Amino acid sequence: MTGVREMLAVCRYEFWMQIRKRSLWITIALLAGSLAAGRFGMGPRYAPAPPGAPAQEVMTRWAFLFSVILPIAFGMALADRLLRDRRLHTAELLASLPPGPAGRLTGTFLGSVTATGAPALAAMLVAAGYETVRRGDPAMIPWGLAAFAAVLAPALVFVAGYALVCPLVLTTPLFRVLFVGYWFWGNLLLPATLPTPTGSLLSPIGSYAASWLLGTPVLHAGIPGPLPVLRPVPTGSAAAASISLLVVAGLLPLLTAGLLRSRRRTA
Amino acid sequence: MHSSDVEMWRHEAGRLGWAAGCGPALALVVAAAVAALTAGDGAGRPQVSLVLITGLEALLPLAVAMAATSVVATDRARELHLSLPTRYATVLGRRLGVLAGATSAAAVAFTGVLWAAGLWSGPPVVASPLLWAPAMAWLGGLAVFIALLTRSLLLATTAAGGVWLAQQLFASGFAAHDWARPLYLFPVSRLGAYPGWMTDRLVLTATIAPFAAGVLILLRRPERMLTEEEA
Repeated sequence: MTGVREMLAVCRYEFWMQIRKRSLWITIALLAGSLAAGRFGMGPRYAPAPPGAPAQEVMTRWAFLFSVILPIAFGMALADRLLRDRRLHTAELLASLPPGPAGRLTGTFLGSVTATGAPALAAMLVAAGYETVRRGDPAMIPWGLAAFAAVLAPALVFVAGYALVCPLVLTTPLFRVLFVGYWFWGNLLLPATLPTPTGSLLSPIGSYAASWLLGTPVLHAGIPGPLPVLRPVPTGSAAAASISLLVVAGLLPLLTAGLLRSRRRTA
Repeated sequence: MHSSDVEMWRHEAGRLGWAAGCGPALALVVAAAVAALTAGDGAGRPQVSLVLITGLEALLPLAVAMAATSVVATDRARELHLSLPTRYATVLGRRLGVLAGATSAAAVAFTGVLWAAGLWSGPPVVASPLLWAPAMAWLGGLAVFIALLTRSLLLATTAAGGVWLAQQLFASGFAAHDWARPLYLFPVSRLGAYPGWMTDRLVLTATIAPFAAGVLILLRRPERMLTEEEA
């Protein structure tokens, strides 16, 4: 239990440190605001739901509108989290504290994911509040939370796992370039152009979860392409499989980094 | 050139750091690796060529923008610079100049290799700098301007990444309007080398002026940048 308490202390510290970062709130607010203002010119998929549409559809449309670009900010915000300790020469000091490498990594991950997700959740709640007033349907708030949990949260976990660990190997500038390039290639580029995981269960843009919530395929979910086994028909179980796969895939780099750090410590 | 000048430029290259200095060249290596994988997957020569051209036209400017942001944001001796006779703007200009020079050399070498291998499919090879240089200066200028204005690495990198992604997503939207087409950063890889492409690239180059002016104005008060950590 001692390890858990220490890990939670790291998580709490990380959360409060990042949640006070003004630039994180401003960045997410600017991106979400630009997407909300520009959605009318972005094509019918991103347009507001028609009058009388159920709350589930209205809020899922908001979630997948945000999921197109908002994860870029998640990646940029988290890219230097672990490198920061090294840059500020506090890595050795932190290593001497009671939480081991695994506890510190888990705490940092949980704290930074929660803090980075908070402005995105706030953006969803603002959208839900707006729709509640505009359409007079109080179900917008719970559906906004559900759409955030199904579409944006798995994307955040997936992106966070790689954004925390990959810059340790690739360096931060190169990771940022590759991440933006990956987001376009792996989520939005059609497989007819290049071999890409777009529209598969492993697309962190949340195509399967959004398709399931809307009842119709969106964001290229299930589009024919490489690895057909990862491209089932978008159903509830496929959406659950996609969310689980994204969370597991996001935790893989952390697990690898934790194992390597533990081994280095015992060597 | 005096030996002291050589020493100074060597010093500036060192201060730039290998991660920022080599980032753009590494981005081209990644494009070449993706092209090799695409070829291995059975793609034809035109598709492989398109991947390589995309690396030069789209990935390289993004890499320069991210590297330039790092150069602005991670200078640890800024306070010391402000106490020296050489202006901070000059020092920053030199480092960004080294970055631009290293990137241009990598881009020219990459173009030469593509042309020699018969994989060049863009505009005439003599006009090849217009493929990457205007977009590199535009996206890099935007990133540096936002980094200096907001003192936030997060805002600057997200703005550069967001603009890059939005341009890739809404390529057809830019192509549909005469006034928007010159502002499109990646015309050859996404729209093809259409007639009037060269004029559009020159217009795009002219639109860098507001960013350059903004950067120069902000650098008149470099003490604004004296922060330990991003707020």
